[in-house]
Amino acid sequence: MGNRAPGNRRSVFSRLGANRDLRLFLLVLPLLAFVVVTVMIPVGQFLYRAVDNDLLAENLKLTAASLADWSPDQGVPGEASFRALAHDIRNAREAGTLGQVAQALNQQITGVRNGFIKAAMLVDEPDAVTVEDLTRVIPALGEVPLWSLLKSAQSRWTDFYLLQSIDLERDQAGAIVNVPADRAIFRDIIWRTIAISVNVTLICILLSLPVAHVLANARPPWSGILLALVLFPLWTSLLVRTVSWIIILQGEGPVNATLLFLGLIEEPLRLVYTRGSLYIAMVQVLLPLMILSILSVLLKLPKELLRAATSLGANWWQGYWRVLLPLLSPGILTGSAIVFVFALGYYITPTLIGGPRDQMLSSYVAQFTNKTLNWGLAGALAVQLMALLLIAGLGWAAFRRLGRRS
Amino acid sequence: MKSRIVTAAALALIAATASAQAEESMTAVGWGGSWNEAYDKGVFQPFTAESGIKVNLDEWGGEIAKLRTQIESNAIVYDFVSVEAPALEIGCAEGLFEKLPDAVYAEKDSYLPGTIHPCGMASDTWATVMVYDGAKLKDGPKSWADFWDVEKIPGKRGMLGQAQYTLENALMADGVAPGEVYDVLRSEGGVDRAFAALDRIKPHVVWWTSSTNALQNLSAGEVVMTDLYNARVTAENEKGSNYVIVWEAGFFYGTDMWAIVKGAPNRDNAVKFVEFFAKPENQAGFPKLYAYGVGHKDVEKHLTAEQLERLPTSAKNLPYAAVYDTDYWAENKEALEQRFQAWLAQ
Repeated sequence: MGNRAPGNRRSVFSRLGANRDLRLFLLVLPLLAFVVVTVMIPVGQFLYRAVDNDLLAENLKLTAASLADWSPDQGVPGEASFRALAHDIRNAREAGTLGQVAQALNQQITGVRNGFIKAAMLVDEPDAVTVEDLTRVIPALGEVPLWSLLKSAQSRWTDFYLLQSIDLERDQAGAIVNVPADRAIFRDIIWRTIAISVNVTLICILLSLPVAHVLANARPPWSGILLALVLFPLWTSLLVRTVSWIIILQGEGPVNATLLFLGLIEEPLRLVYTRGSLYIAMVQVLLPLMILSILSVLLKLPKELLRAATSLGANWWQGYWRVLLPLLSPGILTGSAIVFVFALGYYITPTLIGGPRDQMLSSYVAQFTNKTLNWGLAGALAVQLMALLLIAGLGWAAFRRLGRRS
Repeated sequence: MKSRIVTAAALALIAATASAQAEESMTAVGWGGSWNEAYDKGVFQPFTAESGIKVNLDEWGGEIAKLRTQIESNAIVYDFVSVEAPALEIGCAEGLFEKLPDAVYAEKDSYLPGTIHPCGMASDTWATVMVYDGAKLKDGPKSWADFWDVEKIPGKRGMLGQAQYTLENALMADGVAPGEVYDVLRSEGGVDRAFAALDRIKPHVVWWTSSTNALQNLSAGEVVMTDLYNARVTAENEKGSNYVIVWEAGFFYGTDMWAIVKGAPNRDNAVKFVEFFAKPENQAGFPKLYAYGVGHKDVEKHLTAEQLERLPTSAKNLPYAAVYDTDYWAENKEALEQRFQAWLAQ
């Protein structure tokens, strides 16, 4: 393959070549099918929840239709819309979907859930329901925002959750604005997730370079033992590893006891449940991945490189910085990609060893998925996480290109 | 000869499958660990002995998302689950659970507030209480106002890092009686008042996310007092610690509820269990072994004074208590947790 001249490229598609490509394709087909079925379809479905408005569109058909010509500046709509809503509530009650509808509306306007569930008892005869009856159980019907929300059921898609996941919302006129400061949390969480992942990656690079160097130059019995030590954290259960750190770092733990004994501090330092302890625990797990990536490149380089550089007049540091490090950069890049991507998805470790302000994006995805069943917001946050991955991937590709060109 | 052995083996196999089919069972899902052990020993084993229905006990973290996916994909494996009361409220409205048998729900006046629901009955009542280490602090706090008073008792305070359960404590510290906390929270400016109270204690708080880390903070002396789930405290004291629960400061109790999953494969067996569990003497099997209460008021008659004293719902502790309002939290949880996070970040 390597010695095929560029001008000869057409021949790849000669009958023989095409057959070979087809065979290769058939060989990876099972893997491709597996990835599509087990990863891409479920992930795609979950991400779709971020914009899915089917539930409201299905269940609030009549109301949305009655609001077709209505706009928020007209104020609360007339009796016909109230009656349409009563019909929708009764239909949803019969279909068993009223609870979900109430929950979904409550995600967008806090405090309407119980009203919609109580309204189920009023709507046996929807045409007899009055504006006053409905407004009594659902007071928010006396104001415009809820009606704007009900009108949004005209569409099968919504941008509410995607906007919410970056602290934005639509105002009455439909323009996109920042949410008030006392509700803005997600940008902070996204930045925190990026910062933690970047810092963990940088710390891993700094710690891995010397270790990889030692490993590459160690002699047989030692190289094996050192490698086993490096890999050890990977083989330990996540829980055991994290809990050990809690024990080591806590107020009466060995670290504080030693510092106190040496007289370096007067009262125990707060080491655990901080950003610092989170870094320690994450770096310990991810470090082997970085070391192995760098080592795989380092072992292929001739050992005499540094000596050659020094013999040509460079000091050790210059030799390392200007000769060895650029050659190691593919390993560093690969390692960084692996470590960064792993770090982005962390959530059990931050829960156990970080404080409430050290929780990462994935914790919130888990919380909204599992606990509050707000799959729209969970999907939107997952979209943000995927966007981060995509940006990281593009950055990585750009770096590699740059590296190859120089 | 050989064929006879094969025939015998085949017959044995058929017999085995037949008896496996004949054996009635159900899959119940609890919170794991010592909680599951206590339920197994105190309640499920007696049930199996009486009914012949075998109970497979599984564990989870209350993720009702699992139920939603099982029901949506029509692959239901759980028959009977314990969920937190707000999740029961949401799941019941969404149609994830069967209704309780009429005869059982008709007894609702014999149950403590918040421990029975059209879709479920209490599997355990737990409380978030104020705790300090009696070995380190001689003159401990008596009220939530003391908890807030860092001049009277200096030192850091441990608090659960979320809005739910914390806003309640903040209002108690601000002088609101437990029974009136939700009236205040629902009224104009009530939530602001709770956050204003939290502003005052914020610089002195070490926030916790799991009860294990709360307990470690307390035992390591990182905090002088903390809020914590009462059974965790009892379990530590049984191992020799001297933690003191300040019941009289006021506390809230919450309930986890047993519920039958909609479309459960062994629905009838789960219903039989509910009927069995509706009898107070059978409910008592759990609090005998664990420091969490159950729903029926008559359970007290079947417990010793010592077993009673450690329960949030005993006659001695109940006067200081109010129940967590699941309606309130089902509606406001997401918005208030968001506000709490934003407040933490300030």
